[in-house]
Amino acid sequence: MSKKTTPKKNIFDNAGARSAFASLIAILGGFLVGFIVLVLLALFNENIDFFDAVDGFFRILAGPFSAGNKDNILFQLGNMLFNSTPLLLTGLSVAIAFKTGLFNIGAPGQYLMGAMGTLIVAHSIPTTVVPPAIVWIIALLTGILCGAIWGAIPGFFKGVLGVNEVIVCIMTNWIAANIVSWVFKDSVFINVAETKMNFIKKTSANGVSTATFGLDKFFSGSSQYSRSYMDISIFIAIIIAIVIFIILNKTTFGYELKACGYNKNASKYAGMNEKRNIILSMAIAGGLAACGAALWVLNGNQDFKWEVYQSLPSDGFNGIPVALLANSNPIGVVFSSIFLRYINVGGSNLAAQTDFNEYVSQLIIAIIIYFAGFSRYIQEAMIRLRAGRKNKEKEGK
Amino acid sequence: MGDIKNSEYVIEMRNITKVFPGIIANDDITLKLKRGEIHALLGENGAGKSTLMSVLFGLYQPEKGEILKDGEVIKINNPNDANKYGIGMVHQHFKLVDVFSVLDNIILGVEPTRFGFLTKKEARKRVLELSKEYGLNVDPDAMVENITVGMQQRTEILKMLYRNNEILIFDEPTAVLTPQEIDELMEIMRGLAKEGKSILFITHKLNEIMAVADRCSVLRKGKYIGTVDIKDTTKEELSNMMVGRDVKFVVDKEDAKPEDVVLEVKKLCVKSHTHKKNVVNNVSFKVRRGEIVSIAGIDGNGQSELVHAITGLERIDSGTVELVGDDVTHKSIRYKNTHGMSHVPEDRHKHGLVLDYSLEQNIVLQRYFDKEFQSHGFIKFDAVRKYAEDLIEQYDVRSGQGPVTMARSMSGGNQQKAIIAREFDREHDLLIAVQPTRGLDVGAIEYIHKQIVKSRDNGVGVLLVSFELDEVMNLADRILVMYEGEIVGELDPKKTNAQEIGLYMAGAIKNNKAEGDKTNE
Repeated sequence: MSKKTTPKKNIFDNAGARSAFASLIAILGGFLVGFIVLVLLALFNENIDFFDAVDGFFRILAGPFSAGNKDNILFQLGNMLFNSTPLLLTGLSVAIAFKTGLFNIGAPGQYLMGAMGTLIVAHSIPTTVVPPAIVWIIALLTGILCGAIWGAIPGFFKGVLGVNEVIVCIMTNWIAANIVSWVFKDSVFINVAETKMNFIKKTSANGVSTATFGLDKFFSGSSQYSRSYMDISIFIAIIIAIVIFIILNKTTFGYELKACGYNKNASKYAGMNEKRNIILSMAIAGGLAACGAALWVLNGNQDFKWEVYQSLPSDGFNGIPVALLANSNPIGVVFSSIFLRYINVGGSNLAAQTDFNEYVSQLIIAIIIYFAGFSRYIQEAMIRLRAGRKNKEKEGK
Repeated sequence: MGDIKNSEYVIEMRNITKVFPGIIANDDITLKLKRGEIHALLGENGAGKSTLMSVLFGLYQPEKGEILKDGEVIKINNPNDANKYGIGMVHQHFKLVDVFSVLDNIILGVEPTRFGFLTKKEARKRVLELSKEYGLNVDPDAMVENITVGMQQRTEILKMLYRNNEILIFDEPTAVLTPQEIDELMEIMRGLAKEGKSILFITHKLNEIMAVADRCSVLRKGKYIGTVDIKDTTKEELSNMMVGRDVKFVVDKEDAKPEDVVLEVKKLCVKSHTHKKNVVNNVSFKVRRGEIVSIAGIDGNGQSELVHAITGLERIDSGTVELVGDDVTHKSIRYKNTHGMSHVPEDRHKHGLVLDYSLEQNIVLQRYFDKEFQSHGFIKFDAVRKYAEDLIEQYDVRSGQGPVTMARSMSGGNQQKAIIAREFDREHDLLIAVQPTRGLDVGAIEYIHKQIVKSRDNGVGVLLVSFELDEVMNLADRILVMYEGEIVGELDPKKTNAQEIGLYMAGAIKNNKAEGDKTNE
């Protein structure tokens, strides 16, 4: 409160507040255009009228809360939080690369390599010999390591040979997709159940799964069969986000990484090892994306589709909009990833409950991301507004 | 065309006031430009020269004041309007398309066409005529990226002439030129004025004003100080008007008392990236404590590569570098930085600063890992802030928000001051300064020169690379001249003059053994 008593201070003098506010404006703009789209759809569909559009809009806005009864809401909330985990971590992966001047479009490949490493370890170490908790930790770390190595490859090409990281990232994505398919094809890890031949066995088959501390029960419907996937992984991801925030903003290591991202030549001049730092940035980014995959498969109830050579995991690519919407702020990524999942759930509910299809929610998300692109412009507009007001205050005096 | 020109002045800017957030850039400034005169606009960095010219060129709208052309009030909303009124500008940083030819650049925006197809033939004829008429030697077919800075500037001038501009604004045109090119430019400007063009010449170099201008208006801290006839004034008076106090042009310094060697370069070679010849070829010299050794030469004769090789920014192909008796030829930049080398780089934006970092972050660019500024890998923000504030005060670095100002938003002079502060305050035995005063005003130059001499007197060895002969003559205790990658002569500034150095710089005299012999002693 003491801050408010001094007249010159204003919340929008703070760059972080401006950035958050700009993201909010982007979201509002996305909703507004999304609403218009809903109304237009209603106009061209005999089954839907304007009021259905308004109703549908609020269903999207309500996210999991449009699920109806309390049990369903809790169930959807639990799944939403669990499914936010990989998105949060791939978002973090892209964000840290952005912060260090790199564009990590290789998150899908890093994600796949992480999933592969984790699954192999989680299934290969017999839990009869090693305690499942230890296997869980080794599997997670192996996954992260695989992703970090995979991320370091474009980092090496960029830092040492000067090859654009986007090109190498795209290539490593498809190489990863083919490696994963090749490694798992005809392997012992494939689920033998007839209908599940496309998937790897759940890690719970070996007794390995992330601790839930009863969260899955808390976030569940009344029926015992509809237990949600909720476990502690979202909290692990949030802690990682905080750690990344601290590394980037409070440590000499983060200072170096950012300096190399902003100006490679000046970093070299200052005696930093700019090549090493670029490789490290990408390795960290890769490790984060892989961690997202690892936490997802380690849930114990997830089927990992091994035949991925034709399609890359969407959570990898969706890290890009998550990072954009958060303005590459690690803490912002926590909110933007959960928010995007929230809208997703709302969209599914909309499709399940009305004559709209779920692509509408995807469309609204796309529009929000599009508006997020204006966030810099919005921030500058705020600075200008603020400056103009200050001048008026001065003249008034 | 042929109308009655009822005013003595071709352009009048009356009572212009332009306010930016937090700063009044132009405060009630009046500037009158006579037809056919060269009118210098003098002021320190941040005095408001560029703002005033941007107002005239339509880039900014003034809060108060009016602009008159030939006695009539006009409104200039954008550069196109300015062009319509015959106002053209050569910007300090040229606005040329690198991958276009000279001719294409000149006609860009006013391309002659027939049925939508370019008709360059006539344009070429006109450009050649203009270049002949005004002595602007250019090759119309050369790519801009391949021609010298001087020729790029002449291309900019031709651009204005091609558009029939009659009021020509030159924004610090000599900052990027060699002494010879500056002479040529002065000649061109005189020719233009003789043909009836009116020239506004923005600069802070007094010699050039004295040489070429008819009148001079002086700005200081956004305010109009006065206009004087050059024939009735002196350099001292002008600088006094500009800075508000007397400025000394000759650096006071006692004779050097060279002590032990801090830098010894032996037979250093650096291969070129583009051709087979060595850009630095077999260079040997020594720098001792308490002396300023200056490398003179025209830009592009291997000075930058030599410094990069010594500091570690570029690979050394053969030869050795010793720093205070320690062979550092293959040591890292960090090692050199922490073992007595300070380096004021030539390109402050490329090497000197991380522009998207704040001033305080830039101040600790080579020291963030010091125990003073970090513990267990965590930056001590309080210590950084305090150190930055100290240096900002001590070196008078001016910025909008103090330590947290983004380096990008600071003026060039203050960016340079920040680098100077950082490099001078670090513990060092050897100071390598490349073009330390490029683009700075008289007051700042005086200050930096004093600091360099002070460093020397404190027992630091200084290696100064400068393309400005005045600076070399003023500061150096020994002058080495570089030509085509070799040191072609060693001169004593007391016993030589600009003409002699000029001959060495142009490669007319070579005395390769000058330094080589000494190192073999």
